[in-house]
Amino acid sequence: MEINSIISLQTRDGGWPYQKGGGSWTEPTALALLVQLAAKRNEENFERGLVWLRAAQRQDGGWPPSPSVAQSTWVTAMAMLLPREILGRAPYARGLDWLMGQTGQESTFLYKLRNELLGNTTGVAEARSGWPFFPGAAGWVTPTAISILALEKARRYRPDAEIQKRIETGREFLLDRICRDGGWNYGRSNVLGVDADSYPETTGQALLALSNVTSLKLKRALVVAEEHARRCQSISGLSWLLLGLRAHGITVSGPARRFPCRNLVDSELSLLAQAAIEGHNVFLT
Amino acid sequence: MKRHTITRRALLAAPLGSLALTRCSFLTGRSTLPRVSIVPVPAYTQDLYGVVRRLLVDHRVDVRGKRVVLKPNLVEFDPGTTINTHPTLVHAALEAFRSMGAAEVRIAEGPGHRRVTLDLAEAAGYFETIPHFEDSFTDLNLDEVSQVLLENPFSRLNTIYFPNTALSADLIVSMPKMKTHHWVGATLSMKNFFGLAPGSVYGWPKNVLHWAGLEECIADFHSAFPRHFALVDGIVGMEGNGPIQGNPKKAGVLVAGKDMVAVDATCCRIMKINPQAIRYLRLASGPGRLDEATIHQIGESIKSVQTSFDLPPQFQSIRL
Repeated sequence: MEINSIISLQTRDGGWPYQKGGGSWTEPTALALLVQLAAKRNEENFERGLVWLRAAQRQDGGWPPSPSVAQSTWVTAMAMLLPREILGRAPYARGLDWLMGQTGQESTFLYKLRNELLGNTTGVAEARSGWPFFPGAAGWVTPTAISILALEKARRYRPDAEIQKRIETGREFLLDRICRDGGWNYGRSNVLGVDADSYPETTGQALLALSNVTSLKLKRALVVAEEHARRCQSISGLSWLLLGLRAHGITVSGPARRFPCRNLVDSELSLLAQAAIEGHNVFLT
Repeated sequence: MKRHTITRRALLAAPLGSLALTRCSFLTGRSTLPRVSIVPVPAYTQDLYGVVRRLLVDHRVDVRGKRVVLKPNLVEFDPGTTINTHPTLVHAALEAFRSMGAAEVRIAEGPGHRRVTLDLAEAAGYFETIPHFEDSFTDLNLDEVSQVLLENPFSRLNTIYFPNTALSADLIVSMPKMKTHHWVGATLSMKNFFGLAPGSVYGWPKNVLHWAGLEECIADFHSAFPRHFALVDGIVGMEGNGPIQGNPKKAGVLVAGKDMVAVDATCCRIMKINPQAIRYLRLASGPGRLDEATIHQIGESIKSVQTSFDLPPQFQSIRL
């Protein structure tokens, strides 16, 4: 899909939907703005999108998935991938505070205390704090990876030890969850004693978030990501892999078959992956 | 933002027209005991089309002029396993409801941990089996949503967001795979409703539901969608470490009925699982409702099709 096709799906209120004809949602709107930063932008459409995104921010500083949802969630990290000078200083600062305040429920003091009292020692990586999709739930690979990317950008504006610490614990969380096969599942690498298989999309996201990390574990992960790219069955999975691999200096061609874009996020990720291959990875720059 | 109120058992009518949640007035069966059909089906053949049609007629499901949503279980790509509801069964149901005069029949699903719903559906054979599949399908993970208030919920949730496609349906047909489940023992028609929770709101996976009480949420979802019918794909199910990493288990049956608790209790007995040991069934059922004597079995007897499903190690105690 061409960027003009994405722009044409902008809703009347200025945001972008997941699917043609739907209402505006934060995630596709943030990605549509990033696509325009990576490629070209129509100033009027871009500005309308930005106005929608700023207006969608909640009092607590976070972003809801859509205005019809009264809760800030992980999509805050997606919005925070936009540069501060574009999002605006005040919205950016409030968003950053919200993001810094989130952690997986399993790494909270109360949860750890409860486990201690119950003698439950089976928990994994409680010390390594990730980010949840939804407040009050456990940390998962996707929101943790996107939050790390957002904080990496934030650190440029605010070289803060706390931000650096959260990035590091987030990365430890990701490194701790590498599957036996070398890639990433959406959550733990082992559930109830059974190894989980890795997925293309989460493997790509984790590699992207670990772009400037040196770890022996990543060698195998990169090989697995290339394998995933060859047999991947979705455009979004392939796009995340291309983004993640490119962040480590690797370019792959992917499977012979071209997969269809099923929704707007698929199209956006596809364009962002293409831009990364051409040297402009908006998740990192 | 739309908000809807649901009581757990009294099922108050909501004030919003098509989103009203009322007792299934179009389900005309009058038997005092819930009726559950067990139909032997050896394979996914063309015979399924007639079998499903007859099942719906037997249960006097009147969908004339109604909006029907078929909710299969789409989980993973792996075509070598039996994770997903078989597409031939879904197509058979689609054809049956259309031929029975439904105004609209949609297939809808919101997978729990993979975002690539249509890619999953393609890999699972849905595009190949169901003509114009994309035109009939709604990705519930990306649908518009409304907030629903849960009165007297079993779980810690007071409100929940649901996709508008599900909320506006006159009938939701739960079409799960008959599987064991490593967290709740068995996943059947009630657990299949977890796919109604939108990933766009709760993420992939919908982990909030686990923290709010997994079994309790299953019971809440069952209450939230009272206008339902269950059609369980037990032709080839899954045993062992379900719902994803288990092994195929041929049971050779379809199990169907208007009462999801009774259908799931019957499935459990077929799988040689004690339904009383499944916590969400106990939560959702009234006193005695799980007893075999309180369910009117139609078709084959449980005994004649009963086959022991291997259980996850932590669920050995639920064996019947």
